[in-house]
Amino acid sequence: MRRLLIFALAAAGAWGLGAPSVTPAAEKLRVVATTTDLKALTEAVGGNLVEVDALARGSQNPHDLEVRPSLMIKLRRADLLVTNGLELDMWAEVVVQGANNSKVVPGAPGRVDVSEGIPVLEVPTTRVDRSMGDVHPVGNPHYTGDPGLVPIMTANILDGLARLSPESRATFERNREQFLRQVDQAFVGWKRMLDPFRGAKIVQYHPDFVYFFARFGLVKAGAVEDRPGIPPTPDHLVRLIAGMKQDRVKLVVVEPWNDIKLAERVAQDAGAKVRILAPGVGAVKEADTYLNMIDYNVRTVAEALQ
Amino acid sequence: MRSMVAFAFALGLIAQAAPAPAQDAEALRREMEQMRKQFEAMQEQYKKAMDMMTERLERVEKGAQLPAAAAPVAAPAAAPAPMQPAQGSPPGTGLTAQRPPGSDPSPLDLIKPRQPFALYERRGRGQLLFDMGVTGDFIGNLTQHNVQKNQGGSFPGLENLFFPREIEVSFFGQIDPYARAEVRLEAGQDSRSGDLSFNLAEGNLTLMALPYGTQLKMGKMRNRFGYLNEIHAHDWPFIDNPNVLQQFFGTEGLVESGFEATWVPPLPFYLQLLGGVFNGENDVAFGRDQISNPLVTGRVRTFFDLEDWGAIQLGSSIAAGQTPQQKSSTIIGWDAKYKYTPPGWQHAAVSVVGEYLMSLRNVVVTDPDGIDTTRFRNSQGFYVYGGLQPFAHGELSKWLLGFRYDRTQYPAASGTEWAVQPFLAYYPSEFLRFRLGYKQTTRSQCCSYLDFQDNGGSAKQVSEYFLQGTFIMGAHPAHPF
Repeated sequence: MRRLLIFALAAAGAWGLGAPSVTPAAEKLRVVATTTDLKALTEAVGGNLVEVDALARGSQNPHDLEVRPSLMIKLRRADLLVTNGLELDMWAEVVVQGANNSKVVPGAPGRVDVSEGIPVLEVPTTRVDRSMGDVHPVGNPHYTGDPGLVPIMTANILDGLARLSPESRATFERNREQFLRQVDQAFVGWKRMLDPFRGAKIVQYHPDFVYFFARFGLVKAGAVEDRPGIPPTPDHLVRLIAGMKQDRVKLVVVEPWNDIKLAERVAQDAGAKVRILAPGVGAVKEADTYLNMIDYNVRTVAEALQ
Repeated sequence: MRSMVAFAFALGLIAQAAPAPAQDAEALRREMEQMRKQFEAMQEQYKKAMDMMTERLERVEKGAQLPAAAAPVAAPAAAPAPMQPAQGSPPGTGLTAQRPPGSDPSPLDLIKPRQPFALYERRGRGQLLFDMGVTGDFIGNLTQHNVQKNQGGSFPGLENLFFPREIEVSFFGQIDPYARAEVRLEAGQDSRSGDLSFNLAEGNLTLMALPYGTQLKMGKMRNRFGYLNEIHAHDWPFIDNPNVLQQFFGTEGLVESGFEATWVPPLPFYLQLLGGVFNGENDVAFGRDQISNPLVTGRVRTFFDLEDWGAIQLGSSIAAGQTPQQKSSTIIGWDAKYKYTPPGWQHAAVSVVGEYLMSLRNVVVTDPDGIDTTRFRNSQGFYVYGGLQPFAHGELSKWLLGFRYDRTQYPAASGTEWAVQPFLAYYPSEFLRFRLGYKQTTRSQCCSYLDFQDNGGSAKQVSEYFLQGTFIMGAHPAHPF
């Protein structure tokens, strides 16, 4: 019995000591991002020093992703997990629990919360409960739609990458600077395209584009959903259409996974157009990179508001 | 001695009752110091923001065209500068553009008396709280009088009643960087008297920071045996426990105290290997109830992702221990689940679940002469469930049509029962659900083991109508596949 105990203790000790804790410098960092936006931004910072995969596909609504064990296997060997941090991807914790990877459990160095330092919109100042729909108690999590926040997002990602691979910090910083220059350059054109429509009122299906609107001076004039995540009632639609007519709203934007036919009926009754915007990279064919996603959204809105 | 006690008591009272100006002053000083620090931090934040805006202004004036709120490219990554709040949040929505600086609770906030949940309402990052949720699951069932008399329904002893099956309060979250815990307290009605039973449904911790893809869970838990056993009743995809699980594990299922270790090897596909050691507290299958003669469990689970065509999960489980009569008992199970969620849908259009169980156990049989003999019994049973939710959007997308077929032998007696159950479910939201179902059960050679002989075996044919209402309040973890 005593021998058995000694053997068990020795085995446990060896097991604990044998845990690999440092990633060899020559290997690429294996990064998993919860969404395709975060994947794209991580690739921009990490360059060819990282290998990035995303848990949600661009065509999937990241609010309620089906947690499949195939996601757990993606995370099983990851060095870093990049998360939205504002409860958009809470399902990621279930993936972490099933992945058995100590590098990415909460509190481990291999976790990056990209929302650190983001000026969060729609933070409830009153008591919230589910009668208000699927309200995010810590604020609207769709901040990746605002290209003006790229410096903060990439800074957080850079921090996480450099934490695991400090010797590559200079390369990550160079990559980031280069990417920010591209964003700056593109932003000039985007601003020029949307400036004539500052103050234009737009109806959303779900508040996915609040940050995008705020950045370009567009105003949200309501939502097709009754409350976030709650399908609309006929009464709500009647009120919405009346409000759209009164405010002369000319555009309804929807996510590819929402009820586009319903949005078209609302728009038709209110004399507006419907356009599908890309809430994430890969959500539509044209939005295959982060810059192309913003570019697609800007062009789509500008064309519709002409 | 008595006078000394009285003196000490009086001194204690004085010490408690008398105001302590020195202590008050000290507390006020600490509070002021805290406020001063908060003010300085705020000042620092605004200074940084103003510096940044000044720099941007200079660059714009020099012709450098930057995004309206882009931070300088070379901004130190470790401390992103605060940004100008974006414009456009409409007034009158009860929402603000930015969390006010210093809104996280200070240590002083934490020790001050407050209304229950007042801190929770001020929830922000950095607040030390775990998640909590409440779920309620209510069942109403109607069946024949003879079934009620013989307690032969799907909810034995609760026939022709509307009752709370499970009201559960759950707490879960990280303990520290190495472990997480979950505690679930449960109340439910399990007899006609109307009394509720309260119990600890689960209370366990999981060590998550172990190396080589391993985890260790310890405490009281719903065992990961098969597909359904680990899921709480309010989350089942149908109303009642499948007959085979009810017969093999009893009403509560396999809930045990002990240890469970898992290993996910670094393979290109998902494979989870599990081993567990438990007391053996299950009254029906493994009631030895001592860790020195443990219930040992094992499970292998794998998964095939068919991308747009859905996904399949396959598992195989084993549990081996001793019955309350100290006879060997082994249950082996195989389970499969297929789910098809069309691209762009919020929910699965088709779900199919099935479990097949085999019980191998020694049972004590008393012959007509009153002599006990031990016999080996091999019993089998299975269930198959299918769910169809064929509409992606609109009012019809809230409805689901389900069907389950059950067939099982009795593990400790001869006889078989089978059942069919169609039901209709309505989901007004993801947190509220109603189900209406009908179940027809047929039993053969019924069955001294089930104690139906009192009424001449009249519980052989059972027709039941079910109504179920389920709610979720507060936090509820996402469900695994």
